[in-house]
Amino acid sequence: MIQRPREFGWWHEVVLLLLLMAVVIGAGMFVPKFFWSLTQQLRLSRQMWEVALLSLGMTLIILTGGIDLSVGSIMALSAVSFGIVFEASESLPMSAVSCLLVALCCGALNGALVVWLKLHPLIVTLATFAAFRGIAEGVSQGAHYSGFGEAFRGLSHDNYLGISIAGWSFFGLVAVLTVMLTNTSWGRYLYAIGHNESAVRFSGIPVDGMKFSLYSANGVLSGLAAIVLVSRTGAANADVGSGFELEVITAVVIGGTSIFGGRGTVIGTALGVLLIHQTRKFVDLYLQAAEWTPILIGCLLIGSILVYRACSRDSK
Amino acid sequence: MNRLSRFLFCLLLVAIVGCGSEDNATVDPTVSGKELTICVLPKIKGIPYFTSCADGAREAADELDDVELIYDGPTDGDARKQAEMIENWTVLGVDAICVAPNAPDVVANAMKEARDEGIQVITWDADGTKDSRSHFVNQATAEAIGLAMVNAMVKDVGGLAVAGDVVIVSSDPTSDNQNSWIEVMKPALAKTKLNLVTIKYPGENSGQALADAKDVIKKYENLKGIFGISSVAFPGAAEAVEQMNKSGEIQVTGLSLPSEMKKYVKAGTVKSVILWNTPNLGYATIYAARALAQGKTLSEGGTLDAGRLGELDIVGDNVLLGDVLVFTAENIDDYDF
Repeated sequence: MIQRPREFGWWHEVVLLLLLMAVVIGAGMFVPKFFWSLTQQLRLSRQMWEVALLSLGMTLIILTGGIDLSVGSIMALSAVSFGIVFEASESLPMSAVSCLLVALCCGALNGALVVWLKLHPLIVTLATFAAFRGIAEGVSQGAHYSGFGEAFRGLSHDNYLGISIAGWSFFGLVAVLTVMLTNTSWGRYLYAIGHNESAVRFSGIPVDGMKFSLYSANGVLSGLAAIVLVSRTGAANADVGSGFELEVITAVVIGGTSIFGGRGTVIGTALGVLLIHQTRKFVDLYLQAAEWTPILIGCLLIGSILVYRACSRDSK
Repeated sequence: MNRLSRFLFCLLLVAIVGCGSEDNATVDPTVSGKELTICVLPKIKGIPYFTSCADGAREAADELDDVELIYDGPTDGDARKQAEMIENWTVLGVDAICVAPNAPDVVANAMKEARDEGIQVITWDADGTKDSRSHFVNQATAEAIGLAMVNAMVKDVGGLAVAGDVVIVSSDPTSDNQNSWIEVMKPALAKTKLNLVTIKYPGENSGQALADAKDVIKKYENLKGIFGISSVAFPGAAEAVEQMNKSGEIQVTGLSLPSEMKKYVKAGTVKSVILWNTPNLGYATIYAARALAQGKTLSEGGTLDAGRLGELDIVGDNVLLGDVLVFTAENIDDYDF
């Protein structure tokens, strides 16, 4: 099995943390009332939890050398089912359950195609990326579901110590996944699959089962992100989550996960998400020209990898 | 390694302390030194209609020394992005936010939060939910627009004595604005000899609008006129009439920017274009937001001092822009929006 280098293994996270602090301090010189204010930071943090949640599942999938381009479309399809079920039943729990079920089915379909038909995840999820959104548009016929009520809105707006339930579940997941990745055999197998899948197979580890459950779980996570988004915006339609897949993958890669698998941490991903969020807010609040967001995030992506390579011995 | 982690820890501490202590910092001017920052949020940034409104808003901001204008909106008309922009502006602590909501219920919460923070929130161009804004700058009542279109059609076909069929090409079946005009047009048409035979809904799709207009021209032999009641349907209908060589036989009127319709008016296909003065809409919006931000109350029956527009009437919680405009071959060159 892979041995982590004995020396300090968290260089990328350190670099990211420094970069994050630099951005917060630097941007704060221009817009102190947001960047240096904990209350305001927490208030706008609600804009990032969907991408944050998705990035955790994506980290695990990319660790195994896979990818899931369909997360945004799964969100759309599950959000639409949430809306349809709510319209019919007026029941939030039922809508939430059916939303998650639909999301699970989508994820399981991805998993099944990857594992049993042995198709490349990029191809599978590129296909389902288009198909799921198409189904969402077909089923909803462009309809716009809303009126879910104040209680549901609380999921993304009620704060506990300044952070919504969605935010706390993100932090909870980060903690759980970090422990699982570093301290369980499941975690080590995941890295190993990314390094050399056939070697892991020959060791008698159920690679197929692991991958299938990973894609299915990622589906459920997308459903969860859809619920959070619908709660935050108060409306569900087939446009939900468009463009999220690239944002999520960017966060994961900035977070230091190798796109070829086998290397990366959930904490790095979390820092990547925060870094992108802060950059985005700097553009929104100071530059006030949305076209700068992709430019700066592109620079961040290249920059963070270069800095990491410069200070790390474990660079390849 | 040890020294490094100590250094990092110190940095982190500094950052945290920094965050905490700035929390109650006094409010500083947001973007510039001007007293009032007013944000104007269109449905979509970059389309001619809203760009012409923005020109008027900029004109007002330029002539008012105390107003700093922020004009920004989603380029794709996504209401969720509108809501995020309102949240961002709320954090900046601007003085007033003027919203043209794409989907009233999606932006309502962000607007209410902004109001809770003491920011003046009004709507313009399209109204939001009642509790999400204090006032609506209303460009024209449904009455005025509907009647103006019917009157223009009657005049264009040659007077009240002319009988024949007319059709309406609208937007989506769910478009609130269009539906409220149709409600006014139906009874008004019933009083004329023009017979409304069908209503088409091509959405905001110009190709579909053209196809729908061609269909009705083929189908109804006694067709005298087409109403194109959106900025997509109107040019589509005019184009269809030109392509089928029916200019002069079938009159086209409706709602669109004069600059978009100029070539059809010059060619004689279209005799009247109905619209409000869009730059004035942006202009009046700034004056209304400024008055509210200065602490003035705009109450029922009163008026709003709107610079070069004079006093605008306030009815209910609506600030009324005034009459709709009818653009014809004689006056269309006088307007540059």
